[in-house]
Amino acid sequence: MLSLQGIRKSYKIGPSEVEVLKGVSLDVASGDLLSISGPSGCGKSTLMNILGLLDRPTAGHYTIQGKPVAYDSDDELSNIRNRSIGFVFQQYHLLPKLTALENVTLPMVYRGASKALMLERGMRTLKLVGMDGRSHHKPSELSGGQQQRVAIARALAGSPQLILADEPTGALDARVGQDIMDLFLQLNSDQHITIAIITHDSHVARQCRRQAVMRDGELHE
Amino acid sequence: MIFQANLNEAFRSLASAKQRTALALIGIVIGIGSVIAMVSIGSMAQQEALRQFKELGTDVLTLEKDFLPDDDARAASTARGLNLNIVMGLPTAVPAVADVSPYTQGGGGDVFHMGKSLTQASLMGVTASFFAMNKLMIAEGRALSDLDSNSKFVVVGAQLASQITEHSGLPPTGQQIRMGDHVFTVAGTLAKASQAALRRFDPNTAIMVHITSALRLPGSEISLVNARVSGGISNDKAAADIQVHLSRQAGFPGVRISSPEELIKQMESQMRMYTLLLGAIGSISLVVGGVGVMNVMLVSVSERRREIGIRRALGARQSDIKGQFLIESVILALLGGLLGVVLGELAAWLVCRFANWQFDVSFAAIVLGVGVSTAIGVFFGIYPASQAARLDPIVALRAS
Repeated sequence: MLSLQGIRKSYKIGPSEVEVLKGVSLDVASGDLLSISGPSGCGKSTLMNILGLLDRPTAGHYTIQGKPVAYDSDDELSNIRNRSIGFVFQQYHLLPKLTALENVTLPMVYRGASKALMLERGMRTLKLVGMDGRSHHKPSELSGGQQQRVAIARALAGSPQLILADEPTGALDARVGQDIMDLFLQLNSDQHITIAIITHDSHVARQCRRQAVMRDGELHE
Repeated sequence: MIFQANLNEAFRSLASAKQRTALALIGIVIGIGSVIAMVSIGSMAQQEALRQFKELGTDVLTLEKDFLPDDDARAASTARGLNLNIVMGLPTAVPAVADVSPYTQGGGGDVFHMGKSLTQASLMGVTASFFAMNKLMIAEGRALSDLDSNSKFVVVGAQLASQITEHSGLPPTGQQIRMGDHVFTVAGTLAKASQAALRRFDPNTAIMVHITSALRLPGSEISLVNARVSGGISNDKAAADIQVHLSRQAGFPGVRISSPEELIKQMESQMRMYTLLLGAIGSISLVVGGVGVMNVMLVSVSERRREIGIRRALGARQSDIKGQFLIESVILALLGGLLGVVLGELAAWLVCRFANWQFDVSFAAIVLGVGVSTAIGVFFGIYPASQAARLDPIVALRAS
């Protein structure tokens, strides 16, 4: 469904070029629950940015549902992010002035969805993560775990092909972090949602069916 | 839908930074306010001037002694004033002239009644035709006639008349008033006259004596002559005829003749200068206000880098981000514009109250204010909005 082929990424730091990704290939199939782990500085974040179309590879191919990604059009990248990728961040990244429901429906605003559809889908996904009772609360009125649940609902709301979670439990204590992991596991098994979790936490990584490890810019499964 | 979301977001953002918003607004409010005030006051002043012209008649020429640039010639012509007989003979000698009204002006001072000092007044020498020519109405008593030649009967202005009554409790007609060494008897009083810019005197504080009496005072001479043009004859033709006739009169100094059209033109060009000046001041404060808007927007963009990153990650295109910040700056400028319109109209209303003009809300000015402030919002908002749109999502997401 999503396929990376020989992805390379290098940065110019001063006069020298540093290669962070040294030819990464990865196929993500529908319904996968995949962890990408590795020590910090191994290139996890760079890989995530490329998977999430926030960054362009120096070389290699990326196809989504058989279609090569058109890196020359920023609008097209925005569209793919909007429809195919659902981000979950370590720091939740909810907009503080919006309610939980408004946060969840934000991706749909950018595809011009109707108000009725947004309300219906927003409430449905909030229910999926067990936050439908807090739809009109601001993020500041929610606990860390609750905020992350709202953020997961936001990622789900646009029904993307892939949920891309970057250290989703990193800012939470172990118990709440496990709750979030349980939610991911449940969403994957019940709703067949494809999830990739980038983490340095081996406990989190071990719970995923597919486990990949980044080492020195190379991905090993 | 995106537009409405952006609109809500703009209000939310502006409301959350009230102090900054208010400070940014001040510049725009002052700029738009002064432009609106300028346009309204300018157009009302023009209308007022036109109204006065219509009131006094557009068929009245003004004759003044021509001051020659050469010093000797000026001394010579000052020595010889306009001759009263030649002036009064104009309607007979020149068919284009229906009526003339010369007057003297000069001298004046404190007026006393029953030993009490009332007010400063100016002494004018006038003819019987003066009152009709200047549309002055008699309130009490009578106007002056040619039978008052060389007499000390006077007509007093409304302000002076009411002061006499106020101070003595007597009707002004028949009272004796003193100015300097002269004692005058009040024959009549004038109704209160509106302040007309075209009159070169204020009738309300004048004492009018017959011109023959005034001319007997040392140094007194005819300062100005109004001439009404006969029906069916153009002002230019009449002016030319008068010039031809006067140039044949021995010892008569040169005269300058101005028609109401010329005066209107003069006034309009003065008004244009005034408008231009105020316009320049208004434009400068609008630029300052615009820079204020830009500043606030730049701060807003840099404070919300992470939000921009999140929105971009969720699929906002560059144009969506640009639109969001552009709407915010337009709303900010428009808010300032609307307040400025209110302030400007208020200033215009105050000026009208003090000047006794008729006040009209100028819709053209409102449209101008709203249009200009929108344009400022777009012009000074484009740069910050483009900066927001061009942010790299990865860098923006990492911002604290």
